[in-house]
Amino acid sequence: MIISSDDIIIKTIARIFVPFIQLFALYVIMHGHYSPGGGFQGGVILGASLVLLLITHGYEEMRRRVPEGAVILLGSLGLLIYSGIGLTCLLLGGNYLDYSQLSVILHVDPAHARAMGILGIELGVAFAVMAAVCSIFFDISTGGILPEDEK
Amino acid sequence: MEVTLFIHAADDAFRILEKAKERAVGLLDTATKLTSETRWMEEKKVHAILKGAQETKSGFQNFVATFLMLFGFWALLSGKFDAFHLFLGVVCSLIIAYLSYDLLFANVRVGDVRIIVQRFIGYIPWLIREIVMSNFHVAYLALSPKMPIDPKVITFRTKLESDISWVTLANSITLTPGTITMDIEGREFMVHALDGKVADDLDTGEMEDRVAHIFMEADHIYIQDVLDVSRVFAKLKRGM
Repeated sequence: MIISSDDIIIKTIARIFVPFIQLFALYVIMHGHYSPGGGFQGGVILGASLVLLLITHGYEEMRRRVPEGAVILLGSLGLLIYSGIGLTCLLLGGNYLDYSQLSVILHVDPAHARAMGILGIELGVAFAVMAAVCSIFFDISTGGILPEDEK
Repeated sequence: MEVTLFIHAADDAFRILEKAKERAVGLLDTATKLTSETRWMEEKKVHAILKGAQETKSGFQNFVATFLMLFGFWALLSGKFDAFHLFLGVVCSLIIAYLSYDLLFANVRVGDVRIIVQRFIGYIPWLIREIVMSNFHVAYLALSPKMPIDPKVITFRTKLESDISWVTLANSITLTPGTITMDIEGREFMVHALDGKVADDLDTGEMEDRVAHIFMEADHIYIQDVLDVSRVFAKLKRGM
């Protein structure tokens, strides 16, 4: 199990940089339809910020901040958002992930509906990717040994 | 007859006086008891208010400060100032600030942030000057034919108190050519120095003093603390 680092420099720098890394990840997600980036890249950066926190502050501190159950829930939520938007388009008479059909629900013109739809898809992808990265690293960091309260 | 009556009256008067005295003593006793009790209660109340004010203040202030910094960072990254993107920025900054408001300002003293930022900006030119000077010295060491280096590891005990000031000092030492911070153990700094001159420069402790000045540590009086407490006391006084 990964325990808290005893190097004060690494710990402090990680503590200060993690919020900015997380905000950068959200920026990459939200501006995915204007600039390079998108759901997958932003999700990986978001997951990496949590991995950084885990490496420097230890597994216990990380679990206090982000419970494993919440991570799995977030991953499922991402999948639900993705497939939900896709199926909504299908139900409204278009193809799967044909966002222009969403203009009926959102009350905007089809071009705007496409922008909104892709934003929603990116959010879903980001949640799922972040949850996957975190979940894999949680499992690696424990080394296969479950903590007392999860046995 | 009259004499006995007079004696009786005197007796009665005496008894009444005695009773009055007892009553007065009792009243005084309760009064002192009450004052000591109320004083104790008041002290407890003041203590609780001070502590609570400090806690809520630090939590909320950290949240707001984190939010403002993150939103500034967002504006810098995004460069789009239409309503939709600003709204996204506010929402994202709020989420991140809520998740990690205790990370960014974990060990900073309450109410000091503005002064620290001001002093930190003032510290940067001095650090750059120091880096340039050491650059010339290290270049001289590297270029002179004899290469008069004398590598050594020096350990010293710092008077700084918080992790952020240790890190600032350690990274300042590493940024200055010729010296590298190898480790911080407890409050012991282990620094590798290239020769005697840079080691002596470090031993004067000017850098440490300047870092202590930024973070208001060691022998600095916390004026902001006094101001905070006086504000809380004024509120208390008005309330009573």
